[in-house]
Formats: sequence, structure tokens, C-alpha cells
Amino acid sequence: METSAPIIEKPVIAEIEKPPLLLSQLVFLRFKRHKMAVAGVIVLILMVLYSIGGTFFKSEAFSLVTDTSIRLNAPSSIHPFGTDAVGRDILARTIYGGQISLMIGMIAMILEVIVGVLIGALAGYYGGILDSLLMRFTEAMLNIPQIPLLLVLGKLLADKIQPIVLLGREFSGSVIVIIAVIGLTSWMGLARIVRANFLSLREQEFVTAARCTGTNNLSIIFDHILPNTMAPIIVSATLSVANAIISEAYVSFLGVGVMPPTATWGNMLNGAYNYIETAPWLWIFPGSLIVLTVLSINFIGDGLRDALDPRALTQAE
Amino acid sequence: MARYIIRRLLQAIPLLIIISITIFALLQNSGDPLATMGGKRVTRSEDRVRLARILGLDQPIYIQYVYWLVGNDWVKLDINQDGIFETTGQRKGVLRGDFGNSLVARGQSAMELIKERIPNTLVLMIPAEIIILTFSLLVGIFSALRQYSLTDQVITAGSFIGYSMPIFFVALASMYIFGVNFRKWGLPYLPTVGMFDPKIGKTFSQVAVHMVLPIISMSLVSISGYSRFVRSQMLEVISQDYIRTAYAKGLSERMVLFGHALKNAAIPFVTLVGIDIPFLLGGAVVTETIFGWPGMGRLFIDHLTRFDTPVVMGILMLISLAVVICQLLTDIVYGWLDPRIRYT
Amino acid sequence: MLNKKRFFDLFVLVIIASFVLTACGGGGGATKAPTEAPPTAAPTEAPTDAPTQPAADKIITIAWTQEPDTLNKAYSSMWYMSVLTDIYSCWPWIYDEANTVHPFLLTELPTVSDDGLVVTMKLRNDITWSDGTPITADDFIFTQAMITNAANTVYSVYPYDLFTITAPDPQTVVMTFDEVFVPWMPNLWLGTLMPKHILQPVFDAEGTLDNAEWNRAPTVGCGPFNFTKWESGSYLRFDRNPNFWGPEPKLDAVVFQFVPDDAAQTAACLAGDADICYWPPYEDMPAFKKAGMSIVTEPSGYGEGWFFNIRDMASPGIRDLNVRKAIAMGLDRQSNTALRMSIVKVTETFWDALPQYVDPSIVQYKYDPEAAKTLLESSGYKDTNGDGIREDKDGKPLTITQGNTDKTERQNHQALAQQQMLAIGIDLQTSSYDSAILFADYSNDGPAATGKLDIMEWSDAPYFPDPDISYWLCSEIPSADSPQGSNYFGCDETLDKLFKLQSVTANQTERAHIFWQISKYMHDNVLYLGIWDDPDTWIVNPRITGYKFSGVTPFFNIGDWDVTQ
Repeated sequence: METSAPIIEKPVIAEIEKPPLLLSQLVFLRFKRHKMAVAGVIVLILMVLYSIGGTFFKSEAFSLVTDTSIRLNAPSSIHPFGTDAVGRDILARTIYGGQISLMIGMIAMILEVIVGVLIGALAGYYGGILDSLLMRFTEAMLNIPQIPLLLVLGKLLADKIQPIVLLGREFSGSVIVIIAVIGLTSWMGLARIVRANFLSLREQEFVTAARCTGTNNLSIIFDHILPNTMAPIIVSATLSVANAIISEAYVSFLGVGVMPPTATWGNMLNGAYNYIETAPWLWIFPGSLIVLTVLSINFIGDGLRDALDPRALTQAE
Repeated sequence: MARYIIRRLLQAIPLLIIISITIFALLQNSGDPLATMGGKRVTRSEDRVRLARILGLDQPIYIQYVYWLVGNDWVKLDINQDGIFETTGQRKGVLRGDFGNSLVARGQSAMELIKERIPNTLVLMIPAEIIILTFSLLVGIFSALRQYSLTDQVITAGSFIGYSMPIFFVALASMYIFGVNFRKWGLPYLPTVGMFDPKIGKTFSQVAVHMVLPIISMSLVSISGYSRFVRSQMLEVISQDYIRTAYAKGLSERMVLFGHALKNAAIPFVTLVGIDIPFLLGGAVVTETIFGWPGMGRLFIDHLTRFDTPVVMGILMLISLAVVICQLLTDIVYGWLDPRIRYT
Repeated sequence: MLNKKRFFDLFVLVIIASFVLTACGGGGGATKAPTEAPPTAAPTEAPTDAPTQPAADKIITIAWTQEPDTLNKAYSSMWYMSVLTDIYSCWPWIYDEANTVHPFLLTELPTVSDDGLVVTMKLRNDITWSDGTPITADDFIFTQAMITNAANTVYSVYPYDLFTITAPDPQTVVMTFDEVFVPWMPNLWLGTLMPKHILQPVFDAEGTLDNAEWNRAPTVGCGPFNFTKWESGSYLRFDRNPNFWGPEPKLDAVVFQFVPDDAAQTAACLAGDADICYWPPYEDMPAFKKAGMSIVTEPSGYGEGWFFNIRDMASPGIRDLNVRKAIAMGLDRQSNTALRMSIVKVTETFWDALPQYVDPSIVQYKYDPEAAKTLLESSGYKDTNGDGIREDKDGKPLTITQGNTDKTERQNHQALAQQQMLAIGIDLQTSSYDSAILFADYSNDGPAATGKLDIMEWSDAPYFPDPDISYWLCSEIPSADSPQGSNYFGCDETLDKLFKLQSVTANQTERAHIFWQISKYMHDNVLYLGIWDDPDTWIVNPRITGYKFSGVTPFFNIGDWDVTQ
């Protein structure tokens, strides 16, 4: 007997069964929509390439070479960014200065995040006396105005740390001091946010479930709850890099930053202070680099915040 | 509510003590106020010995701290180093309101110096803060309502640039443009430094004119930062369901904004402002230094660089006290603004 | 209807806002906030100064980067305070623009007895305080008593504790020294004269002068100008003294405005907000020239230099005379003056500002890197491992530590020096410190006091115009027992003997010859290397006339200054 089977439309089933997007892919797609944030990523990558790649074109020794006969020369073909008050090539100095500024930003951020998350997580999860103590400590740190604290700490630790050698470069002790000082004075906001999130998340069922199955506390904190509060941490971390770079410039102006002849974008600005009108290339280049870097980081942070925020309204795109 | 307030105030006391000990230890260990005492050359050794003894700087740190806290009029000191402790101290200590005498401007008490400078700082910071708040709200709200439009992108870019610029550059650049160059070019110009022209005196118009450049420099940076915050808060609030309901009920945009959205968006903003207000007392260190404004910020940095512990401690403790009080006030206002918050 | 409602809302808002603003304004007096301050509004507010002032008021404004800590000279060591005493106080003798001394309160220069122990001063009989009370020997006796009294925490008792003072008659003051003290003239009565009739009652009542109002408001003075007002943080004002015993000053008032920031000070002078600026950064000199301002330099004894440390804890390299000589030849001091626009000259000894005390046979160390390298090679410092830095006989690298304060110009100089030392194979490790940290005493771990730095750089002068200085005395070496000492450089027996000798040699020629020996010894042993000369630099607006500056008493002829309107 002849029967004719109905034709099943495969494409329909295939569409319905397309697997849902992963969270990271979703975030990535949302991030891409934020044009300024994407631009920020590109610029930041360029900055990093500039600081690291530049070392292949200009050696560090070259960035230290002084020559008073060519001091304060305007940009030319030999010195594309001009020369500074002692005749050093500004282009080379911005390369090596960039390494330090970016390094200060990154490491200060890591320090901040570690301290902030630890304190916030422990306070939020355990509660009780530990919470009170940690929060009072956080408040105490918040109460002390940051700039005076930076100044006092900077002066105090000024000459106590020895230079270290890393990856063939010698970093003066003041770099470590700045990183420590900036990192240890900016974690408070993050700690409070993390604590608030932990306070609410620890009442959720998945935590109860984890406890039931016998997971120990530390594992609950770091493997279960923490991944759910990544959004504000990521955003905060991104913005704190920008903050650290600006703080470094500020602190260099007040005289307790990284000491010359080690260059950072911040202390190059400080050195340009007396030449604002007479030799603008001294501050235009490091200044623009700082602004570009900070801008791009801020845009990235903005984009991440929008992308990671589950409640963000998406307008016609 | 009253119990909450009292509890917070009581909790603040150990906080203040810890802060004072920390800063005191840091200051005493950082530098030697007797090294040059502001002069061009190094202090002679006999004078260093004598001054250290008289000013009490040769005592161990914890004793110096105790004297700072509770004074030394209950002990006898040996001023002329003859081994006999016969002179009573003259300090009453912080707990009785005496912050000690300045090590730098000897003959003046730290309180006197601070009191002289506070009005100058308030005169500068209060108008600045009002301008900053107003414009941050305006710009932030405007930007939020037109999210992702061209205006928004421009404002965003502008804010980020303003936020990223170091303030000392803005300050000095504006001084050169409006003070030096405008005058050179024959345009109406602004004065460069100071709170007023000493030849004319501290009149209202003088102070107002001299206030313009410092306020502009400070505002540019702060407005950029705050407006971003306001914008993001507004965005969050606008996307809430109750706003959509309000629109659905037929309320006009203005009613929805000012009646509902703003009040809720304002809460974290109030927190931020509350944190900022006590630092009004600290003045803006960099702005005041560059513009020569005789305020607390300059007092702080001038005396910090000469390691004048009494004055620096006085300023920092005042700021800390103000922070504690303002945080408490903020939490109370917070509770009033958002009825969902209850304090036990 | 909607428009009316909107208008009404706005109206209410404005009323409320104005209430709020006036309430805020009540606390601070002039705090009625200008609610609009966008840049476009600003230029229309033309300032209300100069044009509306009566042309007759002759007031000059001087920009001052450091605010004095007190107005009683005995209590302060600040230069920015002590030079003001020319204006409202009086010195028995003054120094003119050539740094020559002239009697001021005296009828003639003081006479010294043959044994050098007794100094007699004869006061004029027409000198009075600004309230009419005559200035007599009593004021001098009172001043010395106050300074040496332990109840007053003056900055320094030196050298008022070295003599006893008597007054045979009201116009004569006799100072009897216990030992010959040669440098008495530039160290005594430098604006420290205190009015007995004002301060004696204060001292009797309070037991100390520390909190006297006169210290901060010296309304009774004896100079051409009187103290009028000191607004903390803003300005100091002195008005003409109508009772001045000398010729009437031409100006009506002198105002010192405190501008702590260097660049802002320059802007103020360029804009005309200030008439005189002191010691601006050298980079601003071209701008001042272009603006038509006069630049006046006046030697004040100060010179920037490198002080070498030869104490036990210094590195073995710096203690080797050959290394020090090599350093002197390896530093290109002449081209380094480019940091000061090549306006200043290179100095050689500590006493270059007082040439009569420098041995004329001293020859400047010329910049000769080849000779430096040869010297190092022949002294056993060879670069054995090819890293560019020489090693000594034990294989240790030739590392020299150098430190100075964190002034930008010095940091720039460090960068230059580091490269120049590298060129001859020396590793110069530089650090910069806040000055209160650099000069902290031994018990506070000051890097200079504890001997951590092989080379120290700062600007200093002898007790100009006297060549005396106590830095190299062996008794001044800081240690745990005497942490306050100021000899950071080391004890050299020969030098110690010479310095002790000069302070008791009254004969000028003999004393000069002792300094010749000192300067030659220090030069040959490279214990001090001059970097450049550090004169006072004054920027003066061309509308001011009649001014002269001295290196010791800058405002000595402030009475003759005038303005052209």
C-alpha cells in the first residue's frame, strides 16, 4: 500500500531549538552596542601597545640622555614630541612613563579590588561582630580625607623603600609607595558595595543549598556568591584604574609622587608646570595621553556597567 | 530613632580616637619640624636641642599624644633642663578644646589659625557647591532624558574630558587666559590671585570677582563627575515599572520627573553630597594654593609641609568630626526620603 | 492653563531659592552666591580697582611666596620674615646695594677695643619709636635680656648669650664679650630691637613674650613704615610712619600679598596685580623681559653646591680623593647653568660671594671627562664587566649616592649629573626629599644626618657678609649622643683647627689669610664643589623708581622708593 508521509518543515524546529546565549556572550553583544566603549577598548589597547612596543624603538637609556644644548626644543623630526627642560626626548619619556603610569593604575586597582572584596565579602557573609569591626574600620578610612592621607603617607614612606628590578627595568621605591598608598586609600567604596550584595545574596536559596551539601564557608564565599556580584566589582575595578592614574598625577603635583628621573605621565605634567605658556609640548603630550587613557577606561567602565546591568533599558538600536 | 542617633554618636567616639592616633603617629614619624623651621638654612644644633625641649618634641610619641589629648597642665615639666621639674605645662588638651599652639606660627594657637581661615573657605566652597549641585542635576537629568542621542554623547565626552583633567592645569590655564592674556589683549579681565585686592579691602564685589576663576576651575571637574552619576541614577530609575505606570496613568513628563523619578534618583545623590559636605571644610587644597586663596586647604598644606602637628591634627580632627556628623545627617535624610528604610 | 501653572511653579521655586540662598548667606557675610558664573558672564565684571582709585595713593604690592610665621624677628628664622624688619623695625647699621655697611641708628660705626672684647655703639639722639618715645640704650638692654631669657622660646639665642651689655649713658651701648667673637656685626641686632616701654609690661604680666600681641601686630615700630594689618593667608600692610625720625618716606603704603604658588606669582606680576616678585623661576625670565619688567640680581652670599661626605659610613668611593677629583672634572658645570638660562655663573668655593676670603691661587676644576676617566683608571677603578660602571679593586661597583630637596630645578640637575657621571663610569644614584625630611636630625633618621648620602646638594651661604660658618667643626658631627649636629660631612682635624682659629682672629687681614687656607684646603681635597651662584632676583615693575636692593638688608632704602603714576 502506498502512503504519503507529511512533510515536516525542518527549519522551524531548527530555529526553535537554537541554544540560548551564554551570559558572557550576551554581555559582549550589549557592550558592542555602546560605540564609545568599543572606541575606548581600541584606544586602551593602543596605549598599552605604545608603552610596551615603544621600547623596541627607543631604549630606556635613550630616554635618560640629557643634553642642555637642545633643551626645550619644539617638536621636530629628530624629537617628534620635543625635548624637556634638560634636553631629554619627550617621546621616549612618554613611552617609559606610560609603562609606569599604566602599571601603577593596574596594580593599584588589583590591590584595591583584593582588599575591598575581601573586606566586603567577609563582613557581608559573616555578619555580627566581624561585620561591625570591619565596617567601622572602613568608615574610619573613609573619614580621613584622601589627599592629606596620600600626602602624609607619601612623605612618611618617601625614602624607606629600596628600588626593585623587574623585567630588566629598575623601579624606584617611590613607585611601590605610590601604588600602595593609592591602593590602600580607595578600596572603601568597593567594600561597601560588595558587602551590601553579600548581605542580600547570602539569604538566597542556592546558598542554603550549598550549605546543606556541606560546602565550607570559604568555598561558598568565593565559588558561589562572589561570581554573582562580579558586575559591580568589574565596573569598580575598571574605574579605579582611571582614578589611580589621575591620583598619581595629582600626587605628583603635590610633590610626593614618583621621583624623577623615573618618568611617569604624572610627574612629567608636574615638571611642565612652569612652562605652560612657554613650552606647551611639555604638557600637551603627557597630558593628552593621560586624558585619552582615562577617557577610554571611563568609557569602557560605562559600557560594562550598561552591559552588565540586567535592568538597563534598551532604546531603539 | 533617637536611640539610633545616640548609638551612632557613641560609636563615633572610638572611631575618632583611632583616627587621631593613626594620623598623629604618621605625622610625628614623617619629618622633623625643627629641621629648617621655614628658614633658608639648617637650624643650629643648640637651638634644635633647646626648641625640642621647650616645644615638647623630645618626649616619646605616646607621651606627646597624651599631652595633645588631655593637656599637660597636670604635670610639671623641666623647661630649662636643670633636672628640676618645676614648670607646669600650659596646654589643656583637645578634650578641653585646646588644640595646642602652632609649632610654626608660634604664639598663635591652632584654633585661632583655623578659626581665621574657616570663613574664607566657606565663602568659596558654599557657592561652589551650590553651583556644582545645580549644574550636575541639570546636566545629568538632561543627559539621561536624551540617552544615546547626539547631545548625550557630546555631553558624555565633554564630562569625561573634564573629569580626566588635573585640576591644577585647569586652574593655571584659566588664570593665564582670563587674568594675564585678556588684560594684555584689552578685554575685560579677571584678577589673578588672592581673595581680594589688599589695596581695596575685603568688599563684597572684590571677593565676588576673585571667586570666579577658582569656582570655575573646581566646578568643571566636579560637575563632570557628578553629572555622570546623576545620569546613571536617573536612567536606572526611569526604567522602573512605577514610572511606566505613571506615564500610563497620563501624567505629564514634567510631573513624572519631578514628582517621582527625581526623588528616588536623589537618594544616592544625597549620600554622595553628604559625604562631600564635610570636605568643604578642608577646602580645595590645590585650587587655594594656586589662586592664593586664604582658606583651610592652604593652611593645611602650608603647615603639613612644615610638619606643624597641632594645626594639621586640628584640621583633620575637625574634618573627621564633620564627616561623622554629616554621615549621620545623611542617613537621617535618607530615611526621610525613602520610607522603605527603617533604622532599628 | 498649563502655561500659567508652569509660570506659577517657577515663580514659587524662585522665591524658595532666594530664601534658601539668603539663609545660607547669613552665616558667612559675603556668601550671597552668584548663581550664574558661566565663563561668558565673568568678563563683563570689570574689576573695581586701580582706575577708580585716587591717583594720589602711592601703594606698591609685593608678591610674597611664604607667609611669615611671626613679626617678632627673635622668634623666626624665615628669610621672608626677617627682611620685612627693614620696613617696620630698625637696625643699628644697614647694608647697601654693594653690601657695604653704614650706620643707621648710630652716629658712626661701632668701635671695637684693642683686645677685641668690647664693642661700643653710640646711638643718635633723634631716634624715636613711632609713638614718639625715644629709642635709647634701654631698648637694647631689654632686647638682649628677653632673647636670653629661658621663658621666651625664641628661635635662637646665638649670639646674644656671648656678651654682657651695659649702658653708661642712654645713648651708649657697650657689649663685652667673654671671648673674641669676630662675626658680631652681621649677627646682632638684625631687626630684633624690641620696644621696652611696650613689651616690658607684657613680660611682667605674663612671664613670657611668647603670646604677646605685639609679635603678630607690631603697631609700635621704628622704621619708615608702620605695621597696619596682617590678614592671615592674604596680605600684610605697612603704612607710612608719620613720626619717622628719618626722612619722610615717599610711598604711602607697602603691601605684601601672599601668593604661595610660583607660577601664580609670575602670572600676578605679568598681569600687574603685583609690582614686585622675588625669586621667580628662571624659566620665566624671558617672559618678564618681554613684558618690560626690570630684573635685578643681587648677591646674597648664597650659592648652590655639592657637599661631600667623608664620614666613616660614606661609601669607600667617595672617601677616595681621586674619585672626588674625577667627579669635579666629570661634571659639566658650565653647560649645566643652562638650567638657569645661563644667567648665573659657576662657583668654586663656599665663599665665592666674598672674594676677599678666597685664595686667589685656586684654579677652577675644568670640565674634562677624559682626564677624569684617566684618573679613575690609574686609581684602580676599571670597568671589568662591561656594564659601563667602573669597579674598584675589590670588584664592587663605583656607586655614589646623591641627595637634595625635591625642588624641580634640583631634580633636573640630578638628571644632568647622573648622565655626566655615567659618561665617566660612575653610577650616581640620586634621591630627592622634602626639606624637612632631608634635614631631619640624627634621631629622626635624617638621610643627611645619618650619613647615608655621599653627596648632598643645597644652596647655602656663610653668615654673609661675614665668612663664618660652623658646618665643618668636628664638634658638630651628629651621633646618637648629639643628634642635632649639623656637620653632615665629616671631621677633618686640619679644617677644624682652622675654623676654630678664624672665629677668634680679630685682625681682618690675618682672618682673610686663614680663610685662604681653608678655601684652598677644601678645594684641593674636594670637600665642597660649587655648582652655581644663587643671588637674590627681584622682578620690578617699571612704575617703581628709586629702588635699590641689598643682599643683606634688601629693603634698606624703602623710604626712597617712589612710583610714577
